[in-house]
Amino acid sequence: MVGLAATFGSGAMTNSINDFDDADLFLVTGSNTTAQHPLIGSRIINAVKRGAKLLLIDPREIPLAEFADLHLRQNIGTDVAVLNGIMNIIIEEELYDKEFVETRTEGFEQLKEIVRKYPPHVVEKISGVASRDLKKAANMYAKADKAMLAYAMGITQHTTGVDNVKSCANLAMLTGHLGRPATGVNPLRGQSNVQGACDMGGLPNVYSGYQPVIDAAAKKKFEDAWGVAALDDKVGLTITDMMIAAQKGELKALFVMGENPLMSDPDTSHIEQALSNLDFLVVQDMFLSETAVKADVVLPAASFAEKEGTYTNTERRVQLSGKAISPPGEARPDWRIICELSTLAGYPMNYSSPADIMKEINAVTPSYAGITHERLAGGYGLQWPCPNVEHPGTPVLHKDKFSKGLGTFLPCEFKPVAEMPDEEYDFMLTTGRIYYHYHTGTMTRRISILEREAPEALLEIHPDDAKKMGIRNNDVVEVTSRRGAVRLKAEITKRVPQSVVFSTFHFHEAPINLLTNSAYDPVAKIPEYKGCAVKIRRCV
Amino acid sequence: MKTLAKKDLIETLTIWAQKHDVLCPTQTDPGDCIFDTFREKTFTLDYKKPPLSPKAVFFPHSEITFKVENNEYREVVSSKNTLIFGIRACDMMGILQATSFMSRDQKDIYYSAKRNMGMTIVMACPGPQNETCFCTTTHSGPFARKGFDLQFYDVGDTFLIEIGTPGGEALLSAIPLTDIDDTHAEQQIAKFQKKALRHLPEVKSVAKAMKKLKDDKADEKIWDSFGQKCITCGGCAFVCPTCTCFSVYDHQFSPGNGLRARIWDACLYGGFTKEASGHNPRASQALRLKRRHEHKLLHYNEIDIQGSLCGCVGCGRCSDYCPVHIGTLEVVKAIAES
Amino acid sequence: MTRTRTVCPFCGCGCSFYLLSERDRVTGIEPSPSNPVNKGMLCVKGWNAHEFIHSPERLTKPLIRKHGEQVESTWDEALKLVADRLLDIKKQFGPRALAFLASAKVTNEENYLFMKMARATFGTNNVDHCARL
Repeated sequence: MVGLAATFGSGAMTNSINDFDDADLFLVTGSNTTAQHPLIGSRIINAVKRGAKLLLIDPREIPLAEFADLHLRQNIGTDVAVLNGIMNIIIEEELYDKEFVETRTEGFEQLKEIVRKYPPHVVEKISGVASRDLKKAANMYAKADKAMLAYAMGITQHTTGVDNVKSCANLAMLTGHLGRPATGVNPLRGQSNVQGACDMGGLPNVYSGYQPVIDAAAKKKFEDAWGVAALDDKVGLTITDMMIAAQKGELKALFVMGENPLMSDPDTSHIEQALSNLDFLVVQDMFLSETAVKADVVLPAASFAEKEGTYTNTERRVQLSGKAISPPGEARPDWRIICELSTLAGYPMNYSSPADIMKEINAVTPSYAGITHERLAGGYGLQWPCPNVEHPGTPVLHKDKFSKGLGTFLPCEFKPVAEMPDEEYDFMLTTGRIYYHYHTGTMTRRISILEREAPEALLEIHPDDAKKMGIRNNDVVEVTSRRGAVRLKAEITKRVPQSVVFSTFHFHEAPINLLTNSAYDPVAKIPEYKGCAVKIRRCV
Repeated sequence: MKTLAKKDLIETLTIWAQKHDVLCPTQTDPGDCIFDTFREKTFTLDYKKPPLSPKAVFFPHSEITFKVENNEYREVVSSKNTLIFGIRACDMMGILQATSFMSRDQKDIYYSAKRNMGMTIVMACPGPQNETCFCTTTHSGPFARKGFDLQFYDVGDTFLIEIGTPGGEALLSAIPLTDIDDTHAEQQIAKFQKKALRHLPEVKSVAKAMKKLKDDKADEKIWDSFGQKCITCGGCAFVCPTCTCFSVYDHQFSPGNGLRARIWDACLYGGFTKEASGHNPRASQALRLKRRHEHKLLHYNEIDIQGSLCGCVGCGRCSDYCPVHIGTLEVVKAIAES
Repeated sequence: MTRTRTVCPFCGCGCSFYLLSERDRVTGIEPSPSNPVNKGMLCVKGWNAHEFIHSPERLTKPLIRKHGEQVESTWDEALKLVADRLLDIKKQFGPRALAFLASAKVTNEENYLFMKMARATFGTNNVDHCARL
């Protein structure tokens, strides 16, 4: 998000899900779309069947690879090099959109300067992508009329995540694939309300609607709206920094609402130490998650079916969800718990309903000003920005100009994965999700059919590697990184390239994030889940 | 024959709602049309096929079958007086198929209890609901020939009412009806049916595909190509009016307290046919798709009840709601052309 | 039977479906046929999203750690304890010794209130969520 915000002035999917039906070409990278966003993946499959082109950049042979016109399997973490290489060819062969570059962007010379250093043979050496494939990819993307670029965590979960995103944005701007229907740069967001959590200011540096906490006017606005004297005017800690502060003993208390960092965060043993070091841990959840087990107080929360409220999907569409049943036992909706707690702590919150809360959101958040429960009840959601109650919402961002005026090329140099394999830790571990499960499995692993379909974690390993090590299908193997060891069964498959293994973080029996590296992107603070060095041993 | 003035329909449904849970086409606030409990404000006659067929009423997606409370076992067979108004003929045939299946060998008490207390009122179709309707081909529409308690024909300002069962006839006793001359009514119905049939030509590829499957002449490659794009959502089975497979799960709340529930299952899920040993006779998505369509189109001969040797009622939902266009229509076309 | 329109709790697609329910038991799922995102379709997770809601492992009472064990408590006791402890720590170490993790799985209204609580009630900008993208 930081990467897109820096380039365009707004960090969100530029286009809409329905645009997938109209594009001529898709550049999909770092997204196993059919598994993680199945109903977007299916649209890509349908589009290919009607003649659209699919250009896939992904180290793994994911299901979409069967439909790809061209699949570049780059070495893990070499995305910037590949994208720079594609831009190098586009500029060299003058395939770029000169009018768009001239009228809508700035910083083209700097881009040229940097990508000049990435001719095909250099990129081939770094990434393993053949020069001729790179040229083909550049031509395909640049020459398409309506090309949509879609990415997910495979791009962001790197120490170079922001650079990867900026490079995607550079490529789209260079070719003018922006600001029109069925084009754009489209981050596919992985959780039902991750977009909304950001929009609502669940971030250390901004209030709702991305209004900076260091901006005096924004601070004053919220002080007035909330009737408080002096809000904190310094940027707070990110989750990554919180864990560090907790380990150092600077952070004393942590309140976790509906998350499970002890499974979802990298280098879990360090997270565990950090949480143990706290004086006070509160977890508000539906289940006694791995994190909740460590808590001093656990507050039982309602599920999505037991409360009313809105969620913002990956295309910025805010939708209203109703209450079907009552929560079990004494569980309560999160908003009620917060109201009561805040009141007890001396700051009364007296909201009668989520609709009532939304009225306040409308008043203080310009992009959500026109999104009322009343309007949402009578339709299928509104896409922000929606500045007033007459506004129909915004399906395509950056139509005539970028949120920040001109789009800025922010070229990046290639940097390798923070922890590359070496003699001892000779494999690269990359992680992700599988189709049947979601996140840390607290919900999906309590669904019998999903549990039947995918009951246990598997380690994907290439047949040649398996053969060398005498590993057969379903053999138990131990995967060890510098941070920990996990045992799980092997699945021998060509989905992964040689010297790369893949697994998921859904299964508490094999908590893969014990192994992952907490080295993170310096700007976005996203950890490098997608690559770390491990060694593998067959257990007997 | 009896007729009901259209203006009296709301009053009629209101009367029936006194003794039944009346389910009828409903326009929701956001603009979806689905079947829901009758409310005057949201009732609509302007409706097409909702995703779920009426099978969900008698065979719910998720249903408790027994509970154990303080070590006492108690069977849970829920049922209530239900009246479904506005069923389409294809879905009526779907109910007959499901009932036939659920009554064979050992009677399914959970299904039967609900089915026995459910009244069905069919609304004859004047033509296709959309481009995926092919009920004439499967001999299951556009009007019902059996199974219904009542069947309504919309002939403008009035509905002509065909009585299917004594129970249906009893429903008519409490509502404002007008008599109409039988010959005249029959002429009107014949005209309605003729016109409806004209708008629903037979889909030739269905019979062709069935024959090819029977003669084992279908090209195996089509299953690979479908299998490659299937996203394994299970939606085709869930929206199908004749799919009745289920799985069960147990929930234990504390020692001596728990329940068992059954939930819809789908033969396209890999675990559906996986054996305890780990062996799966339908190991690939291609094989699972093949089995599913052979089941619908080939292996229904002995238990055929609609005279078409087919386990499909031609509602077209699998084509409407498959995310990657692997509905029966697409499959029979591929087989026929292979 | 009641049908309530909801949003799928899993990925970011935002598919919409109706939950079918009888009293306080969810009995099924019907995808919204006209919603522009999913148009009457769902994936395997969406179609099966009803079961975990009734899981016997759902938390039904607040838990408080006493002598090392998490034991059931009343809401009054639990909330008072949380408020008191957070205020204590704030008094002793300043607001930056507190941190709040918002959720990518709960509603906008709840996330808004949560960050408001962190900032207005407890005076800290230490608020983040678990899925940095």
